[in-house]
Amino acid sequence: MSYQYPAIIFLIPFLTAICMPVVCRKKRDWCRPIALAAVFAMSAAALANLLNVLDDGETRYVFGGWLSSSASVGVPIGIEWVNDGLASIMVVVISLLASVCVIYGGPVVSHSLGTRVVHYHTLILLLISGLVGIVFAGDIFNLFVFLEVVALSAYALVGVRGGKALMVAFQYLILGTLGASFYLLGIVFFYAATGTLNMADMAQHLAENPELMTSKAVIGGSTFMFIGLGIKMALFPLHGWLPGAYTRAPDAISPILAALMTKVALYAWVRIMFWVLGAGTEIGQVHVLSLLGVLGALAAVVGALLALSQQDVKRMFAYGGISHIGLILIGVSQGNPTGFAGSMFYLINDAVMQAGLFFIAGAAIYRHQAHTVEEWSRLRGASPWMTAALVVLGMSMIGIPPTGGFFGKWYIILGAMEAGNYLAVGAVILATLLTMAYFQRLFVSVFRDSQASPPAVRVETELSLRLSVGVTAVTIIILGLCSDPIISFFRTTASSVGL
Amino acid sequence: MVTHPNLVKKLIGMYLVQTSIIFLLVTISAKQDATVPILQGNDAVLAEGDDVDPAEYANPLPHVLTLTAIVVQVATLGVTLALVTAIYRTYGSLDEDELLKRTE
Repeated sequence: MSYQYPAIIFLIPFLTAICMPVVCRKKRDWCRPIALAAVFAMSAAALANLLNVLDDGETRYVFGGWLSSSASVGVPIGIEWVNDGLASIMVVVISLLASVCVIYGGPVVSHSLGTRVVHYHTLILLLISGLVGIVFAGDIFNLFVFLEVVALSAYALVGVRGGKALMVAFQYLILGTLGASFYLLGIVFFYAATGTLNMADMAQHLAENPELMTSKAVIGGSTFMFIGLGIKMALFPLHGWLPGAYTRAPDAISPILAALMTKVALYAWVRIMFWVLGAGTEIGQVHVLSLLGVLGALAAVVGALLALSQQDVKRMFAYGGISHIGLILIGVSQGNPTGFAGSMFYLINDAVMQAGLFFIAGAAIYRHQAHTVEEWSRLRGASPWMTAALVVLGMSMIGIPPTGGFFGKWYIILGAMEAGNYLAVGAVILATLLTMAYFQRLFVSVFRDSQASPPAVRVETELSLRLSVGVTAVTIIILGLCSDPIISFFRTTASSVGL
Repeated sequence: MVTHPNLVKKLIGMYLVQTSIIFLLVTISAKQDATVPILQGNDAVLAEGDDVDPAEYANPLPHVLTLTAIVVQVATLGVTLALVTAIYRTYGSLDEDELLKRTE
């Protein structure tokens, strides 16, 4: 039974998504309870799987029992999933955040999507199952397929309301598909060079034949893969699709997109970078990690600068997300366990923070029709719970203890100091200051005493809105308080890949 | 073509990129004097344990990958066409510049 957990976690949302349009064709009210049951069951399975992995160590799930012939031990002929510590933690994060997003979705969906609730719940379950697939995949082609499952449901989700969102969905689709095509091109090159698609097997081939690392196929392949995944993770010069898609997407959908899409693409690159290419890689003459560090620093600073100049709050948070992808890349690229553990921890925190901020932004639009920074002054007094959660999440975005964001940034900076990379330290601090500046703008607008704002009518929002916003705010503090065991866990993961 | 303002032309450009990558995938499976990867002639009647010369057969795996990639491509094309149709129904135009102006 415990061996089957990865497949069970994937199949629960996937099968529910397939059955949903049939079952709910006549009875639209059923789809929300069904979706909630599916995500809760999935979260329970994910937690059981995590405990299992912590007890027994990593397992490898081989689909259809296509295990190797006795000749080459341990290399499956078919598709393999890797269920190790990092993957199981990511799956828990994905399933819990997905549950919170579906809880949040209820009132907002019926408000903004009307009769399209069935579409919404079907697509969101498909998206979740695809994300689980990406995290578990131990085979680069399998990863491509799940990348496309996720991307296709995301395009459809962005455009599901019709109207102005259609155009951004189309732009997102063109860029996203180009990204996926580049990634596929990278796979072709890697396959031509090594003759395998399995990540572990490929890593072994590359280690045994060091001359491959300087071959054109591997240089070109890894460049194409990085560009492809860079588009998916909205790394700074390739981020064009993100702000429009997150801003125009229906309010019930932007939280899950912002929380998980870019992070999972980044996770996929971390898998390929450390588990296939190896940590100390030099491709051609370039030391890959230093290159990533520079790109990350650029993204962190420019993303925060762009966020500062936005009027629309959702757009501001979207640029904040771009800046944080840069911060995570900085940590990963320091080449020591501290930086790696810090950025993996920050990745989880960032997923929670982005979900929470977009929850609040969606609720502000839904309840107070507040889109821009100035209009957010309506929030104060009207919904005190929401404002309190905003303060907690803002503190975490800036990086003030005891929130989780502080510890993530702290370890990233420690890692950069350890590596003697003061440029990266400067970039993190500059990005933090800029983040503080744009949250300052938001806080000033919310808390300022202005004559113009009408007397506050206390509009408490629905229980599900308050619940989801509250859960994210509390989680971010709990993550901060429990940062020690999580960080030390990621340190052991880092040392297992030779950092 | 992806930079063309007409949305359908963009779509065609995207499709060309995907198709050309699939062709590249097929070409790497080709071998000189190799045939389809089904046991041929004497090999087919030989008992298990006899050697089969892999150089005589083309590599089947890229073809399988190609099939999967084509399925992905078809699904993407379906979603794209649905979006383009919806855009045309809503705005009555497929020119990107005009659409961007109207959705500001």
